[in-house]
Amino acid sequence: MKADFKTKNKKNESDFLYRKSWDEFLESLKNFFGKKLNIFSFSLVMLLIFIAIFAPLLSPHQFDQVNPLNALAPPSLEHFMGTDTTGRDIFSRVLHGTTTSLSLALTTIIFGLVTGVTLGAISGYFVGIVDEIIMRIVDVFMSIPGVILALAMVAILGPSPIYLVLALSIRRIIQFARVTRGVVLSIKELDYISACHALGMSHIRIVFLHILPNCIGPIIVLSTVLIGNVILMESTLSFLGLGIQEPTPSWGTMIAKGNEFLTFAPWVSVSPGIFLFLTMIAFNLLGDGVRDHLDPKDKVST
Amino acid sequence: MFLKILLRRLITFLPTVLGIATFAFILGHATPGDPAYAALGVDLEGYSGVDPEEVERVRKELGLDKPILVQYFNWIWNALQGDFGRSYVNDYVVMDAVIEALPNTLYLLGFTMLTAIIVGVSIGMISAIYQGTIGDLIARLISIIGVSTPVFWFALILILVFAYTLDWFPIGGVVEEFGPKALVLPVASIALHPAALIARMTRSSMLEVLSHDMIRTATSKGLFRKRIFFVHALRNAINPVVTVIGFQTGNLVGGAVAIEVIFTIRGMGELLITAIHDKDILVMQCAILVIGVSFAVINLLVDMIYLLIDPRIRL
Repeated sequence: MKADFKTKNKKNESDFLYRKSWDEFLESLKNFFGKKLNIFSFSLVMLLIFIAIFAPLLSPHQFDQVNPLNALAPPSLEHFMGTDTTGRDIFSRVLHGTTTSLSLALTTIIFGLVTGVTLGAISGYFVGIVDEIIMRIVDVFMSIPGVILALAMVAILGPSPIYLVLALSIRRIIQFARVTRGVVLSIKELDYISACHALGMSHIRIVFLHILPNCIGPIIVLSTVLIGNVILMESTLSFLGLGIQEPTPSWGTMIAKGNEFLTFAPWVSVSPGIFLFLTMIAFNLLGDGVRDHLDPKDKVST
Repeated sequence: MFLKILLRRLITFLPTVLGIATFAFILGHATPGDPAYAALGVDLEGYSGVDPEEVERVRKELGLDKPILVQYFNWIWNALQGDFGRSYVNDYVVMDAVIEALPNTLYLLGFTMLTAIIVGVSIGMISAIYQGTIGDLIARLISIIGVSTPVFWFALILILVFAYTLDWFPIGGVVEEFGPKALVLPVASIALHPAALIARMTRSSMLEVLSHDMIRTATSKGLFRKRIFFVHALRNAINPVVTVIGFQTGNLVGGAVAIEVIFTIRGMGELLITAIHDKDILVMQCAILVIGVSFAVINLLVDMIYLLIDPRIRL
């Protein structure tokens, strides 16, 4: 009887807490979308995601349909952005490039997030030799510029999409690990964690259920800020011929191709660049908005 | 006190450099392809046209038959003496190529940083002083556009407009060939991003400083607005800007790689890209090491400057 009362009470309490946090969440969303700039950037990002998902339906031509007779045609009603050296429709390729860029960036961020948060949590929770080793390795990787690091990884692994994700995510892993470690270090000395220990909870349970939820804010901020960064880096690598390879459509590769015909066919380079630019604006604005919303203190951009 | 911090910072600097060297070494050994074959001018391993004895001889000559740890220490020892061997692919002394390339990159980045600081701080100041007006809005718009523009694409647009159409500047970026004018477009392309970030940072830290009591005191003392902005406020607002500059050097190097390729400047980035495409392992190792170490030195310098201008953080 007594036990029954206890569980019932516990359920009510958690229900109440759940409601409360849900209300807070809704309130916070309302605040976030109270700003026009946030609505703008969010809609732009949603539009890009829509394009990325439905690119095959939206594009007027097949992205790999070659037509040598119509090579380097200027923009027209049939080809909004003209055609490239082999007569492929640039508009369709740009739309498909959205899919490439966004899916690659998302995979990179998710991989970096999971690995980085785990490493950071281990490092911060078990201070000592493990922490020391992880942080020294992090220092070394931080002291090599991001693009150079990614280039080196591509040189080792070769330019296939999976390896590209690996190459791009090394830096992200480190960034996520650092943020998580910082939060874990500051949280684990608090009284309620001692209480958890006293209740005999396992380390894993304490870390995942009682410490890591505190990192959600900083991690959301970091992820949104980093997506633009990853997209830019991927297109830079592709531009240098070490990222996405033909015939997969990628903005960076397309811009690089157009470099040779800049004088008489500028549309080959300019059009994919406009999309890349808009994507960067969308994610940067969204990242700024999210950061100002969740973490108003830290205004330093990465 | 200052010396003590400097010493502590130097002590953490050395393991970092060793770490970069180790990374560069591992990079060389993890890259697919056998260096002995590469040295013989054969790309494919197991290519039947090569005499196996010849391969063994080359392997011995290059020290590739020794245990990996011995090779590692040999490489580090040689690197300390500035000896990175001869390129297998193009047969030149690796260090010579680096000595030729490094100044080009440093000039490029130096001018870029200078431009970015001047432009960024001015735009940031303007938008802080005229906060809320149309000037502020334009300045903020410029900075968000600057942060979002891909460097390599912006460079192509600049070439299209200022080199091809208006013919004001040359398309190449080599100073010896085209004169100092050649640096304008490359520098402008790379500077856009850091200038925008610096502008943003200057604006927000200026706004913060301007709300302090000391500015009110200065105003009530009857000081000129100009003096308040440039002496009292800017001096305090500059600290976060230095931090941003420190953050940005890494991104700058990344941007510089693409820019060097576009403007055919023989710099470190161009050297590295060519080496990666050619699978030129020794050049790759050396380039990564030199870029990594220079980057670490720059970060060290930024930290020192930060210490000098802001005595508060001398912990």
